[in-house]
Amino acid sequence: MKYIIILLFLGMSVTAQNTHAHHDSIKNLEEVQVKNAAKKKIETEMKMAVSVDEFLSSSDNISFIKRGAYAWEPLLNNMSSERSTLTIDGMHIFGACTDKMDPVTSYVESNNLSTIDIKSGQQGSLHGATVAGSIDLKRKSTPFGLEKKWNGAYQSGFEFNNKQFFNLGNVAYSGEKFVAEGSISYRKADDYYDGNNNEVKHSQYKKFNTSLGFAYKTTDLSSVRVDAIFDMAKDVGYPALPMDLSLSRALITSASYKQLFEEGVVKVVDTKVYFNAIEHYMDDTTRPENLVHMDMPGWSTTYGLVSKANLKKNRYSSEIQLNAYDNLSIAEMRMYPQDRSKRTMFAYSWPWVTTRYGGLSMNNSWDLSEKSQINLGGSLGVNYNYSKYVEFNWIFHPGAPQEKTRFLPSLHAGYNLDIDHFNFSVGTGYGHRAPSVSEGYGYYIYNSFDRYDYIGNPDLKNEISYEGNASAGFKNEKLSIQGKINYFYIENYIIGRVLSMGSPMNYQSVGVKGYTSLDYATLLNMSMNVSYDILPHLHWKGVLTYARGMDDQGGNLPFIRPLSYQTSLHFMHKNFGIQTSVNGDFQQINYSPEYGEDLTSAYTIWNISADYNFKINKVRTVVQVGAENLLNEYYSTYADWGNIPRMGRNIFTSLKFNF
Amino acid sequence: MKSFKFLVIALFCVITSCTIDKTDYQAETGSEVPDYYEFKEAVSFTSGTYKISIEALNGTFFKGYNELHLKITNTQTNQDVSSSEVTFLPILSSTDGNKTSCPHDYNLQYDAANKYFVGYAVFTSESAAANSWKLYVGFTADNQKYDISKDILVEKQSNKNLNMTAFTGKDDQQYVIALVSPQKPTVSENKLTAGIYKYNTPTAPAGTFPDPSQYSYSEVSGYTLKLDPRMPEPSMGNHSSPNNQDLTQQNDGLYHGVVNYTMTGNWTLNLIMMNQNGLIIKGTVVPTDFTPGVEGVKSELYIDTLF
Repeated sequence: MKYIIILLFLGMSVTAQNTHAHHDSIKNLEEVQVKNAAKKKIETEMKMAVSVDEFLSSSDNISFIKRGAYAWEPLLNNMSSERSTLTIDGMHIFGACTDKMDPVTSYVESNNLSTIDIKSGQQGSLHGATVAGSIDLKRKSTPFGLEKKWNGAYQSGFEFNNKQFFNLGNVAYSGEKFVAEGSISYRKADDYYDGNNNEVKHSQYKKFNTSLGFAYKTTDLSSVRVDAIFDMAKDVGYPALPMDLSLSRALITSASYKQLFEEGVVKVVDTKVYFNAIEHYMDDTTRPENLVHMDMPGWSTTYGLVSKANLKKNRYSSEIQLNAYDNLSIAEMRMYPQDRSKRTMFAYSWPWVTTRYGGLSMNNSWDLSEKSQINLGGSLGVNYNYSKYVEFNWIFHPGAPQEKTRFLPSLHAGYNLDIDHFNFSVGTGYGHRAPSVSEGYGYYIYNSFDRYDYIGNPDLKNEISYEGNASAGFKNEKLSIQGKINYFYIENYIIGRVLSMGSPMNYQSVGVKGYTSLDYATLLNMSMNVSYDILPHLHWKGVLTYARGMDDQGGNLPFIRPLSYQTSLHFMHKNFGIQTSVNGDFQQINYSPEYGEDLTSAYTIWNISADYNFKINKVRTVVQVGAENLLNEYYSTYADWGNIPRMGRNIFTSLKFNF
Repeated sequence: MKSFKFLVIALFCVITSCTIDKTDYQAETGSEVPDYYEFKEAVSFTSGTYKISIEALNGTFFKGYNELHLKITNTQTNQDVSSSEVTFLPILSSTDGNKTSCPHDYNLQYDAANKYFVGYAVFTSESAAANSWKLYVGFTADNQKYDISKDILVEKQSNKNLNMTAFTGKDDQQYVIALVSPQKPTVSENKLTAGIYKYNTPTAPAGTFPDPSQYSYSEVSGYTLKLDPRMPEPSMGNHSSPNNQDLTQQNDGLYHGVVNYTMTGNWTLNLIMMNQNGLIIKGTVVPTDFTPGVEGVKSELYIDTLF
């Protein structure tokens, strides 16, 4: 019903706003940007038609847990997704799957995003309490009064390995007072084949995504905007899991009001209310090897408010953001006895858990001189949890409170210095995070990686992170070198430990683990980026990353990326471009058998692609042909769930029109 | 603009198409488990001017444990009789002439606060064509002894959480274990109450029927029931739960412990009954391995529940 009302509202706004589109603009609303973020296009160097996941993986500090070909779970600074805040334009969204089969990134599509803003550590606390940092997916937003009123793009392509066929289209109308934009996309893929040319069963997917956005300029300095994204995935296989997805749907809506100020300290205030609802239905009837059939539907509904003000005076600039949301997460388990006429067995894996968060965050920066800058920021949040069917939590934690309120403070400071061709930065941070719904209230959530059922603990302490980071770089016309390092000391690090008293429930499980707090854990991330322009049209780039994570006993943490590298060459000549890259991981020596990891061998992948730009009647066109894993290497990475092999040689083609 | 409208209509159709409904959890446990919380008259009979009324939960005698409230009223004065000695004896007669009883309270106690006599009976079988139950009640009023009897109907216990089991222990004694509560378990730690009864083998030859000494049962005291609840369905792979407590006797003569149900469905309470000296009278240790696809092995002594 809620959906219908929202749609009707959207429908009305289509007709209503269309009527007043007259021309009286002086200012270009979107041009005023207090802080200019480096905008990236959603494409990687190798591939222009990428999925959101593929794009994210091109970032240094993002790695992925992969459970198949679809919906990879992004790890920021080698920390799992509950340690980072994942938002879409500042809106909090929570996946509805207990097994993390639907990270937020799976509910958007590359053609409705403009960029992805990744902030490491406490610098990302603007969007709420975090330990690892924040990933903010920025939606496309067309400015008012563009010279070219209609803009559009259409992209299609085919990938041979898994017969993925995709069509992505988007249009935007930019008037003086009115902007409308929409996108639509459909991807369909069959099972992929590994490096030994064996089919990886249950790795198919179908994804449909569409978005709509309307903005109306109410005055010269203010505008309103409504946005909606609808995403639907069907028949998605997860080869690493014992079940697949029959249907997942997300409706992500927001309405915002933006006010600019020409005078005074406050430059922009942007306030948005949002609502999103996610449904996720797992299905294991597609797996004949399962003797047991189990239904595991999940729902996640979030209402929220995000309001942001940008301040600037002389050398001082500041961002203040108010975040508030209310999320209800529900997940059910229903098991069927052999005799279907008999009574089914039922339990909640998320017993109607409400999370409310309200917090005020601030980032300030002062330019001490032309060369140096100080950043100071922090946030204070209140996190409230309520478990409606708390009896499920009482099974393992008798007498645990039904409600819990936590205060989540955070602070960070940094200093940047630029001297000639060199730049340096140091920073430090401190922050709390509340346990996630699964960590706090999860009940028999099956983790197919270590094959344990996980039990949440409502009494877990806040995870407290102390971090330090530094970077140094050199840059001239031809050469650029940048080294980064960060170190996290995380108190009360939440992780699953074997519970001797538990008895497994899920069919494949070997035991029960309860989320507990380690005294501490430490994490070190390092990266080195080098780029060099060998010739004006020949560029070389290299990246080396290393990470190490240890628990309080000196044991290894799981899902820490081993030493890895990437090197690429890019050559352009007129309208023609060719690029090749080699990337790989070294052997994962520091693996963690306790968490189901085994030694993952080194691998090296070679990719190559070529593209050509041309114009057909003013329509800019790009064609691209390329191959990933050209040598058809059989490999799986340290973060491949259940060591499922990655895709073998994949030849991809794509075609893009911009008009 | 037309395309937008089409899109909206298309979206509308997609969104309103059917989905899986959320489970109504409160209704979920309620649907399968009848609960009896009201005492109603199950049987009444008159003897002279006295009316005897026996109340049971839901107004029905069920197989298993039944708490009974007995009232004796003088129909002429409309006064309740409270000072009498009341005896109570259920007898099961089979068509072959065999007469047995079941665990029961022979001498009923008067509850002055509630103004009735309190007792119980653990009916060990349902009434059937070949088996009929009869109650023998005796009391004294106005210095006159009354002995009356009446056929009753014992119905099937439809609440699977009030099951019972009857067996012969290693000491060659006949025992009955009956679940008393919870009537309506939840996914949580449930206080589990059971009665353990023993047939007292008569030492003297039978007198005139009904001779209570031939049909005597008593609550056993000082025993322990070790508890290991498991889900027997093959799909549950011998799943169990933490934080269970063995049943020990409390002041009310019943045995109390804790059973922790982790989810709704079929459960088996695997029991080991030990006497005062810790000797096992009945029951075996069950495997604790998680064995998916294999039906859980039950103890020699068990009671099934379902909710």
